[in-house]
Amino acid sequence: MSRKFHHGWLLCAAALLACGALAACGNSSVKASISDAALQPEPDVAFKNLAGGDTSLVSLKGKVVLVNFWATWCEPCRSEIPLLIGLQDKYASKGFTMLGASMDDDGAKSVDPFIHDNHFDVGGKQEQMDYPIVLGSDEITDKFGGLLGMPTSYLISRDGKIVKKYIGVVNEAQITKDIESQL
Amino acid sequence: MISAKSLRYFLAASALAGIAVAGGRNARAQEAPALTPAQVVKSQVYVSMEPVARGKDFEVAVVANINEAYHMNSHKPSDAYLIPTTITPKLPEGLTLVDSVYPPGRDKKFTFSDKPLNVYTGSVTFKLKLTASTTAALGDVTIPITLRYQACNSSACLPPVKIPLEATVKIAAAGAAGHAVHPEVFRAGK
Repeated sequence: MSRKFHHGWLLCAAALLACGALAACGNSSVKASISDAALQPEPDVAFKNLAGGDTSLVSLKGKVVLVNFWATWCEPCRSEIPLLIGLQDKYASKGFTMLGASMDDDGAKSVDPFIHDNHFDVGGKQEQMDYPIVLGSDEITDKFGGLLGMPTSYLISRDGKIVKKYIGVVNEAQITKDIESQL
Repeated sequence: MISAKSLRYFLAASALAGIAVAGGRNARAQEAPALTPAQVVKSQVYVSMEPVARGKDFEVAVVANINEAYHMNSHKPSDAYLIPTTITPKLPEGLTLVDSVYPPGRDKKFTFSDKPLNVYTGSVTFKLKLTASTTAALGDVTIPITLRYQACNSSACLPPVKIPLEATVKIAAAGAAGHAVHPEVFRAGK
């Protein structure tokens, strides 16, 4: 068997394996998933904030940050907002901050009224999204490795390393444990 | 034509497949929604008559088969902030849209929402009722159609996507005899 032919078979096998894996992923019962991000450095990104300025991740170094990619049209994203407000309430004084990155195509036009018009039940109290909200973009999510769906959240350590990625609605017990492990 | 955004999701999904193949430490990430927005729905387009004589009515059906792990908002979703499913034809000269027919969605409860959402699942047929005018161009006429939807699974949502589709209708002279084609598609939902 020639070396070239052998390589061809290897390539075919690899392609078949990749296709099979993709099909298996697509057909699996889909749940929120978590992956250890193996302490990758946070991407060097600057989000546009709602005031038109920049909010860079680097400027938050020293804090534990949960970057949450969401959208106003995304029902599961909306459902986890009370939990995220609660995390901000509970841990902001200990060096934690939420950073909500909206992926709405029309940016502040949708996000601004959403923030001002909606109150969420957080432990029996009606609260607004009082944590920092910025505008995400495809260029920014590419630097995080690309989004597979929303909500997707990244937990970033005080020294600027991505320590965990959550696809889907975060589990309260899990995220609480993970944040506390970083504080 | 697939948008740059869809391509990004495809690349992200491909990267996830690569991780799955490697089988390493990110095993739990295999449960992630590894479909791109465009992969969630497979669509086919049908025309009800062949040929369609000038001056006659006909229908175009878009049959959308939704991946079993996903749902998409119906045309009349439960809340105004949810993105509805739409089909939008770009009609060539001589063809007129009489009506767009969307099936009702069904109310379904998801773990991420306190209230049921009005969604489409499985196979859904949308119809466009059209008229060929007496001056419509003769021969094969292409109707570009855009299917727009926003899909979610039980834990996460994909961004809205616009899928370009095409229907080809054969227009014949006034009075020409046409016969019904794909009656099983056009009977559904009547």
